[in-house]
Amino acid sequence: MPEIADIIRQTLAALGVSTPAEVTARFDALRAEFERDTTSARDEASWKSLRDAWLGRKSGVLNRITEQWLKSAPPELRPVVGRSLNELRAHVEQGLESLQRSIAAAAEKAALARERVDLSLPGVIRPLGSRHLVRQTFEEIERIFLSLGFTVVEGNEIETPYYNFEALNIPEHHPARDTMDTFYLDLPPGSKPHLLRTHTSPMQVHTMEKQQPPVRIIVPGKVYRRDNPDATHSYVFHQVEGLAVDTDVTFCEFKGTVEYFVREFLGSAAKTRLRPSYFPFTEPSVEVDASCFVCMGKGCRLCKFSGWIELFGAGMVDPAVYGFVNYDATRVSGYAFGLGVDRLSQLKYGIDDVQLFFQNDVRFLRQFP
Amino acid sequence: MKILYDWLKEFVAVPFSPEELRERLSLVGIAVEGVSHTPAGPLLNLDLTINRPDCLGHYGVAREVAALARNELRPVSIVLPEVSESAARATRVEIDCPDLCGRFTARLLNGVKAQPSPDWLRKRLEALGQASINNVVDATNYVMLELGHPMHAFDMDRLAEHRIVVRRARAGERIRTLDGVERILSQDVCVIADAARAVGIGGIMGGAETEIGFSTRNVLLESAWFDPISIRRSSKALGLRTEASTRFERGADPEMAELASRRCAALIRELAQAEVLAGVVDVYPARREPLPLELSRKELLRVMGARVPDSEIETILGALGFAPRRTDETRGTPDSLLARWQCRQPSWRQDVTREVDLIEEVARHYGLDKFPPRLHPSKQPAARLPHALPEDRLRERLIGLGYQEIVSIPLVDEEEDALFRPAGVLPARVANPLAEDASLLRSTGLVSMAHALAWNLNRGQQSLRLFEIGRAYRVQNGAPEETRIVTIGATGLAREKGIAESARDYDFADLKGDLDQIGALAGGFVWKGDTLTWQSPTRAGQFSLSNDKPGWLVVSVAGGQTRRIEWPGGTLIGAGGQLADRVAGKFKLRQDVFLAEFLLGPFDALYQLGREARKYQPISRFPAVERDFSLILSDGTTFAAVRVVIAALGIAEIISVDAVDLFRGRNIPPGKFSLLVHITFQSHDTTLTEGQLSDFSSRIISALEQKLGAALRTA
Ligand SMILES: [Zn+2]
Repeated sequence: MPEIADIIRQTLAALGVSTPAEVTARFDALRAEFERDTTSARDEASWKSLRDAWLGRKSGVLNRITEQWLKSAPPELRPVVGRSLNELRAHVEQGLESLQRSIAAAAEKAALARERVDLSLPGVIRPLGSRHLVRQTFEEIERIFLSLGFTVVEGNEIETPYYNFEALNIPEHHPARDTMDTFYLDLPPGSKPHLLRTHTSPMQVHTMEKQQPPVRIIVPGKVYRRDNPDATHSYVFHQVEGLAVDTDVTFCEFKGTVEYFVREFLGSAAKTRLRPSYFPFTEPSVEVDASCFVCMGKGCRLCKFSGWIELFGAGMVDPAVYGFVNYDATRVSGYAFGLGVDRLSQLKYGIDDVQLFFQNDVRFLRQFP
Repeated sequence: MKILYDWLKEFVAVPFSPEELRERLSLVGIAVEGVSHTPAGPLLNLDLTINRPDCLGHYGVAREVAALARNELRPVSIVLPEVSESAARATRVEIDCPDLCGRFTARLLNGVKAQPSPDWLRKRLEALGQASINNVVDATNYVMLELGHPMHAFDMDRLAEHRIVVRRARAGERIRTLDGVERILSQDVCVIADAARAVGIGGIMGGAETEIGFSTRNVLLESAWFDPISIRRSSKALGLRTEASTRFERGADPEMAELASRRCAALIRELAQAEVLAGVVDVYPARREPLPLELSRKELLRVMGARVPDSEIETILGALGFAPRRTDETRGTPDSLLARWQCRQPSWRQDVTREVDLIEEVARHYGLDKFPPRLHPSKQPAARLPHALPEDRLRERLIGLGYQEIVSIPLVDEEEDALFRPAGVLPARVANPLAEDASLLRSTGLVSMAHALAWNLNRGQQSLRLFEIGRAYRVQNGAPEETRIVTIGATGLAREKGIAESARDYDFADLKGDLDQIGALAGGFVWKGDTLTWQSPTRAGQFSLSNDKPGWLVVSVAGGQTRRIEWPGGTLIGAGGQLADRVAGKFKLRQDVFLAEFLLGPFDALYQLGREARKYQPISRFPAVERDFSLILSDGTTFAAVRVVIAALGIAEIISVDAVDLFRGRNIPPGKFSLLVHITFQSHDTTLTEGQLSDFSSRIISALEQKLGAALRTA
């Protein structure tokens, strides 16, 4: 409507409007004009120019009307011009507002269709490492025994034959030495002989030499055996030794502790069985078995169809050991155990080759985050 | 040891199926690995502990079955008709070395018809893995498997002067044993000799020259007892383990020697239609009275924690041959706390010498399942390792930085170790390694790390970040030493290509950044320029802890002890950098590899100190302002030098100085480089004004110009 710019630059008088009806007609025409304009505004930019055209402070339609029509209106038309102007302003403001809402909604809808992130795409992944499985098993064992009041101590891997054997009641020609083939160190002439400990048990002796009962310790660490490596043997493996000595520690406390450990480690369904055995530094000695968690005791390959799996060796400390550390064997008693960390991990996670623990293949290690 | 179910039944009524027996025996400490079926009936495969040589025969196992089934053990009954001619007149036995041979019995059998054994005998021997040879030899093996006592039969006509001398071998004395091997003996070995030469190695194997053959007519049957330690030594020295040596080295029953001989003679008589000469020649220097033993309920209770009824104790000990006799004054009172039993050690149980051994006998047959489990209250606080906390923090930080923990075998190859070994370190060698590439305890973890990286690279894993918390080993002043260390290794990409990022190689800056993040746990690392032989000369360095003041550190060393060591400020604790091409080549590492290692002792100590000294620092309420300085510097000028110059100005409002860009070339003259330094200013008291800031800036610029010849680069 090219004439609108024209119309609003003139006064009512110049337009020849002299009756209220004519005033109303002019405003109706303007309202129709606004309606036409709004149908063509489809985006934010055209909405802004529409707003400026109608509500702009200097040259907006409504401002012009105020300047040209209202201010110069004859007194008899002033009320109707004023009212019509207010109505038109309200209409325009309302129209612009709803137009803005619908334009924003349409824009958002379009954006959603175009830009929404594909939630199936990966985020930025920073690499994370993890603890070695053997370490995790160590920590789990430590957690269980700390909760029972055991203190963690460590020992040297390089030991003297005295601590590894003699003080544990394994004299030089004892047949038990056959089961613990030993690496010896090649030291300069005149040095004391040393070996790589075959078990973590020497720390029993070191601890009792330094400390009077009550003693309650666990000893995590590496041990060495001169065995040819295969799926169940490694030069090196890991143990957690345990020792509790006091004036009131009996086989029943030993049994309670071992059963608690097995339930915590393998789950509350695991049953424990103690089977008499032999170790030179415990008497009575036992093997601790757990009910087979593959077949639930019915018999399978893993348990050699016995329903039980051998977990570790243990027993009441042999009084001969107390003799080496000046404990009074008639007053104190206690128990000791030696957990094979690699074996326990193998059993718990179904790992058929112990070498996997030492090859450090990340495809293995990453399976246990 | 293999045991035939039907053979056991000759000595005891067995009220269990073979499978039940397997379980029952296992629960009294006679572990049975499995049950199989043979032409001689069901067979139990025992996995005996070394303290139970008495179960290396069916009779001994039958005794255990009798005890657990509460059934009677039938005695070994022997009918042995003898001719009137006496053995003592036909042969003579002397023992020259009673310390090695405690008993020697000889029985003589004349007119034997050595021939193949009957079927029933062959069947049993073969089921137990013993080859059948002839009826005489088979009889000795049969009785060994039955009663657990090894014996040997000599061809009497081949014994010079028909007599036996048991003596130490002469130095260098030779004998051809039954297996056809010519052996040279030492004086520690006990031999059975005739008047002229050794005819057998005592307790281990007989000689070939006096072997029983199908032409043998007269037999001297040896049943002896040898000292376990001497048998063990000789068997090891000779590299010869036999059924006999296994039984003697674990401790055979000296009393059984004569009974087994009688049983064997009766069998040979029956099988080979022989005549048995009257009597036995028995030289028995080791004879001794049975060892008296005592068991009290008080001690049983003290060790086992629960009462075992009198009747159980007496039945069990009786069945096992300990002949218990109640000796206390409360005999009439059942299960009295004062109850005591006098026992005696049966000759077949030389492993039972003390009260605690009797307690084990009672407990295992009473049933370990009958002792109630209890938990005991702790009387002391439990503690983790002294270095557990810093190690946890270190490990979790490394894992957060993307490093995967590894665990390696510290036994390594000598030459590979030498590539990394610091000068002057004496490595800890193994005297008896199993393999050349595992002959030394590593003197650093770097050698294991290089291996772990190579292993993974060879298996298609190209981007790796690994760490190991372990030990290094060396010999110091003649004594071995273990040191706690952490080792880090990385190669490949620092960042993988993704939708939001491009790929980037792991570089020295990644290693240094990660190490500094770790070092921050212990107050920070200070880097030094010198490089070690394994390091690339351009992209590597060593570092100390940034504890400038010399002092004492309490360091926990391997072994859990804590030690105070003098720690002069600036003492190096580690090194990191790119692996030198020369070393990388030896491990066939074909891409850039970065390694680092440092000592954990001082790191832990400073972690603890820093942790104790932690205090809250108030946060300024006033805004921080950042300024960039684009400097042109001469090559060789370090960022550290820039920081020193700036720090020397003593502007308290400087809260950080960072380097954010570095480049050469473009419009930078040769011999120079451009360094963009980013400085943050902040006051605790006021908002910094434009005037203050431009004053700081101009002081910084002029100091850098004067001290370092820096020029401000204009854009
Ligand atoms: Zn199973």
